[in-house]
Amino acid sequence: MRRSAGRVSTRLARVASLVLLAALGTITLMRFAPGYFTDVREVDGKYGNGARAALNIQQEEQGSAITLTTHLLGNWLRGDLGRSRQYDIPVTELIGSRAKVTLRLLLSGMAFGWLLALALALALSARKTAAGEAMIAGPSAILLAIPIAAMATTCLLLNVGGPVLVLTTLIGIRDFKSIYRLLRLTWKSPYLLYARSQGIRSSRITFIYLLPALTAELRALAVTSFVIALSAIVPVEVIFDLPGLGQLAWSAAMNRDLPVLLAVTLLMAACIGLAGMVSTSARTIEVTPCA
Amino acid sequence: MRLTSLTLLVMLVAAAAVTLLRSPIGYAAQDRNHIAEGSTSKHWVGTDDLGRDRGVRVSVALLIGLAGAVSASALAAALSATIGVTAAFAPRAVASLLMYASDLFLTLPWLFLLMMVRSALPLTMAPMESAGVTFLLLALLGWPAYTGISYARALALRNAEWLIHARAGGLRPSQIARYHVLPHLSPLLLSQFLICIPACLVAEANLGTLGLGISEPLPSWGSMLLSLENTSVLAGSAWVFLPIVLLVAILLLLELLVFEA
Repeated sequence: MRRSAGRVSTRLARVASLVLLAALGTITLMRFAPGYFTDVREVDGKYGNGARAALNIQQEEQGSAITLTTHLLGNWLRGDLGRSRQYDIPVTELIGSRAKVTLRLLLSGMAFGWLLALALALALSARKTAAGEAMIAGPSAILLAIPIAAMATTCLLLNVGGPVLVLTTLIGIRDFKSIYRLLRLTWKSPYLLYARSQGIRSSRITFIYLLPALTAELRALAVTSFVIALSAIVPVEVIFDLPGLGQLAWSAAMNRDLPVLLAVTLLMAACIGLAGMVSTSARTIEVTPCA
Repeated sequence: MRLTSLTLLVMLVAAAAVTLLRSPIGYAAQDRNHIAEGSTSKHWVGTDDLGRDRGVRVSVALLIGLAGAVSASALAAALSATIGVTAAFAPRAVASLLMYASDLFLTLPWLFLLMMVRSALPLTMAPMESAGVTFLLLALLGWPAYTGISYARALALRNAEWLIHARAGGLRPSQIARYHVLPHLSPLLLSQFLICIPACLVAEANLGTLGLGISEPLPSWGSMLLSLENTSVLAGSAWVFLPIVLLVAILLLLELLVFEA
């Protein structure tokens, strides 16, 4: 138990150090970006000369990369992610209101996608038929070849489905291929062949022997699909005009709102790091008793 | 199957090259009298909303997309091989540092990072430069995905008896890498290279759809997908779907090539 806790804390420290390094890299990139010192408020008529002078002083104070890094990291530790240049409101407020939309989209897309993938893979892998495989192989290959942005645009133009359908299709088709291959291999295991020869029903074998044996692999696959879904939310939210984190990041990139873009990028990096950690920690804990 | 997909790909590239060579008009030339038209004798596959020849633009997008994706994949495979082999033959501390760097890159959400870097670049960048930068970024972000496997394979080779003999025989590390390790890694690197090509094409298309890929007026798959969002253009002709159909066809052919490889 103590060893497992130690392993988890080591991985947690590793994720934290990775996110910290990523933060340092992105802050440096942000600081040396051409146009970093451009502030839309400078051309806004409602700001007087005094306010513009104050802005210049603030920029000079945060001029060097080291000062900027110390300033930003100090603020982040106090829970202050900075102020959006575009909307002129705190980044935490922006992220908080939009995170719910993204979370809802991610959860529904992943849940429906996994249901689709599991249902198709279980139905086809138990009794391998050439007709069934051919029926799925063609459409899945075509759907996999369509970029997510093109898929979203087509759905929008044809007025069919919405963001959840696009994400479900992406996750479902990608994971179906992996789950199907995994199930086909496992069905050939001697203990499952023996169970089948004893006349145990396929459904019983699936839920009592097959799926529990594949928990670690399925969890690792879920992490991969989570990462894919995180990248897919940007085009999906932009094309369907959903006010989530993906749309916020895109709008920040288009308008050079670097504090927002930096905060969203690091939030995503932390999510991916933690998801990876959960997957590997769970696998280690599962393997330890057998070793 | 592999030969068929390769032949079809070559035919598509040849058709694009012939279209460009035979067409008297450039990809940015506007014909203001024929805006958003269907197939005519002057413009075989119609024009876009600015009166630019769609056939020429699709051909340029196809050639630039494929050339960029192939170069980016080659660079990513070369980087992953170099870093993997270096880590395998270097002292443990260096290996840990290199693998840590690879993990760091893998931790970052690539699309967000690409958006971050692209938004940090000057707005006045020339279209051709933006294409170069986009594919360079894809290569620089693509290497970590395959470094782990290159490292593992190179490490297994380093511990092989015949390689220990070679090292004991006095071969220099550069000779070992060039004559013994890289030839053994080449099948792995070839499959990495082939897998990376469609991934780069899809990434460019997604980035272009967000307006952060190759800048106008240079055509790209992304910018052509972006134009589909303008519903008034869609009413003009079914030829507007040509880029998406061609892109999917190329990706399918590349997938077949990867699968066979």
